[in-house]
Amino acid sequence: MLSVQGLQKSFGDFMAVADANLEVAAGQVVAVIGPNGAGKTTLFKLITGQLKPDAGRILFKGRDIAGLKPHRVCQRGISLSYQVVNLFGRMSVLQNVQVAVLARRRQVLRLFTPAARLAMDECWEILDSVGLTEKAHRISGTLSHGDSKVLEMAIALGNRPELLIMDEPTAGMSPEETRAAMTLIKRLTGELGLTILFCEHDMELVFGLAESIMVLQQGRTIAQGTCEEVRCDEQVQLAYLGGPGDA
Amino acid sequence: MQDQGMNSRGLILAGVVLAGLAFLPAFAERYYIYLAALILVTGLLASSLNMVLGFGGMYQFHHAVFFGAGAYAAALLTVRGGANPWWGYLLGPVVAAALSLVMGLICVRLSKLYFGMLQISLGSLVWAIVFRWYSFTGGDDGLHGVPVPPLIGSVRGAFYFTLIVTAVCLGLMYLIVNSPFGRVFQSIRDNPERAEAVGVDVVRHQLIGLVIAGFFGGVAGTLFVTVEGTVFPDLMFWTLSLEILIMCLLGGWFTFLGPMLGAAIIVSLRTVVGIYTEYWTLVLGVILMLLIFFLPEGVLGFFTARLGRRRAAGEDG
Amino acid sequence: MEIASNVNLASLGQQVLVGLSRTTILFIVSSGLSLILGVLRIPNVSHGSLYMIGAFFTYSVASFIGGQTGFWLALILAPLAVGLLSLAVERGIFCHLYDREHLMLLLFTFSLMLVLGDLVKLTYGSNYRSLAAPLMLQGSFSLSGLPFPRYNLFLLVAGPLVALGLWLLTNKTKIGKIARAAAVDREMVAAMGINVSWVFAFVFCIGCLLAGLGGALVAPTQNITQGMDHAIIMETFLIIIIGGLGNIWGALLGAAIFGLTDAIGILVWPQFAIVFPYVAVVIVLLFRPKGLLKSTW
Repeated sequence: MLSVQGLQKSFGDFMAVADANLEVAAGQVVAVIGPNGAGKTTLFKLITGQLKPDAGRILFKGRDIAGLKPHRVCQRGISLSYQVVNLFGRMSVLQNVQVAVLARRRQVLRLFTPAARLAMDECWEILDSVGLTEKAHRISGTLSHGDSKVLEMAIALGNRPELLIMDEPTAGMSPEETRAAMTLIKRLTGELGLTILFCEHDMELVFGLAESIMVLQQGRTIAQGTCEEVRCDEQVQLAYLGGPGDA
Repeated sequence: MQDQGMNSRGLILAGVVLAGLAFLPAFAERYYIYLAALILVTGLLASSLNMVLGFGGMYQFHHAVFFGAGAYAAALLTVRGGANPWWGYLLGPVVAAALSLVMGLICVRLSKLYFGMLQISLGSLVWAIVFRWYSFTGGDDGLHGVPVPPLIGSVRGAFYFTLIVTAVCLGLMYLIVNSPFGRVFQSIRDNPERAEAVGVDVVRHQLIGLVIAGFFGGVAGTLFVTVEGTVFPDLMFWTLSLEILIMCLLGGWFTFLGPMLGAAIIVSLRTVVGIYTEYWTLVLGVILMLLIFFLPEGVLGFFTARLGRRRAAGEDG
Repeated sequence: MEIASNVNLASLGQQVLVGLSRTTILFIVSSGLSLILGVLRIPNVSHGSLYMIGAFFTYSVASFIGGQTGFWLALILAPLAVGLLSLAVERGIFCHLYDREHLMLLLFTFSLMLVLGDLVKLTYGSNYRSLAAPLMLQGSFSLSGLPFPRYNLFLLVAGPLVALGLWLLTNKTKIGKIARAAAVDREMVAAMGINVSWVFAFVFCIGCLLAGLGGALVAPTQNITQGMDHAIIMETFLIIIIGGLGNIWGALLGAAIFGLTDAIGILVWPQFAIVFPYVAVVIVLLFRPKGLLKSTW
């Protein structure tokens, strides 16, 4: 479904992404791992169009999307859930999701229809599925960190993406919240058949969820394969997991 | 579900006030009818600014230029073109909207302060041209005795016309704020980067928002001609722009009726204070300073926030 | 034919000199504005009021003392008084507002402008004042047959002096270096144990002093009147925008563009002379929307 080939991006002299390669098949859950500063967030921003790559190709469903504007990428079916909480802070939880749904349905330019009745079923459905129904009318800026991250995901779901990209979905969550989020992600892949690409520091989560793992180091892909393959890969053990046999 | 910027109680209140205003000419003196019309015009102008400022998060520093453009377009059409003054009510808003589109195309790629600064310099350019083009715009003297359709030529007629047009425009703006367009506009205000990531064409959306705001600003301009029968360059001077910004701030810019309230407070204060002293701007300045220190969300914003807190407390408890 | 073109060249030269002396005033005022915007991030709309107050103070001091000394003393005392006034305002009000949004700061300084404007009206009334230049700077000298006021020549000398002083202040003194560092990263400077608050007060005071100095220098060249504040503030804002926010040399460049287009406009098409600088601003911003020189933002 998604194929990243030889992607490059530098900021001044600093090569944030030097040679990233990634394959994501439809329906798969793929994790990107790598130490801090390996270029994971940059890679995601390149895929979603927030940054323009210097070189390389990003094929989504067979078409090159490299360099497209973020809203175009989103309209093709890729949605990003952010690492740092990035919500519409003065709007209610329900409205946060509604914006994404409206954007997907291409209804954003309707000037005189009341929004309060548009797309409500779908918004409630999404809030139900992530468990935010009771907080639907809270102003999103007042949510707890855990709830904010869940809302992050809910907004991304509002786009009904074919590929959902999650940048550290559990960053800053408490252990209980992390477990809940993990169950949620598992359910989403099962129920909605979503293809998911995510990165995460929590190795338990990575090995618990991912079917395929890509390892990024200093902007280069050093391996991609199943959990077993990556665990056994010598290069990976050297570079990332802290020596052979450790994992 | 609750609408944005105003609850149903606010809507009823607004209706009651408007209906009450309709009976004003029955008992009020001419001067107060004129004053009420002026408040409506200024309020409409401030509300149109707030469309982009409060609901779109765009620093439109020089909104008065669209007010002036609408007023001048309407006045010039009758004075120089000799056309039926009714056409002015169509031409004024259209010219203002077109100007807004052109200025928007130039400014929209910049954000926040830079947007505002470029906007204010473009607006000042328009002002400078109007200010100097004696043969066409009348220069710094402006144009006086602009013909107004006889039907609405009297103080009372102008008042009713202003009241009706303002009510219709406010209704339309209310619909827009609560439409999908408005909701997405607010999401851009809160977080343009995220809005883009969920598939919104932010630049296009902002441009449309600017054109809408310019259009209603132009409507206010034509109403000003109706009420005053005159146009002059101060209508598009930047100080007026900052004054209507203050009205939005005073009333509360995250509320729908706030700018109207702000305009009412400032215009009536100016009249009342003006009776006692010529130092009106001193009073305005002090009020504004106190406001920024103590009520940064404006009067209506303050009360809705308190109401919201009480409601939230009730829910939790 | 040849004579005509000679005259044209001479009058062009004359207008350029007039434009450059206007540039001096604009530069002095807008460099202060730029300094404040660059370091404190305050779009100070009341800057024009301080300029006006500087001019009125100059008038008061000069006419109180009288004679040549009066003017020269006023040239020093008036800016100092404006600086002290601004210091009081900064310590009293602004230092509580630094974390507010730009829009709020802009509106706040606008309200300050309204208050200061009316205070000037209260003190001086609505009549305009005029002040004669000191004797040695009165009159004109001939420039290819066209008169050029001596006072403008004085301005042409004063401008570079102020620029040099500002350069020394920001590049060679400790507080200038701290201020420049604080413009880039104020947390960092605060972490070094420096009292950023007082650095800000100092910068604000210097910036406003420059506004006062601009007002003092302009006093003998025009009527000192209400409304001077409105006229200059928009020009100086545009100047620092086309120059690059917070960049003092940008302010110089912007002032030159503004002063020269204005002067040449008067020569080419007097009726629309006022439009020329605005057109120049728009053209610059179309191609360099963030200004010609690097902004400190």
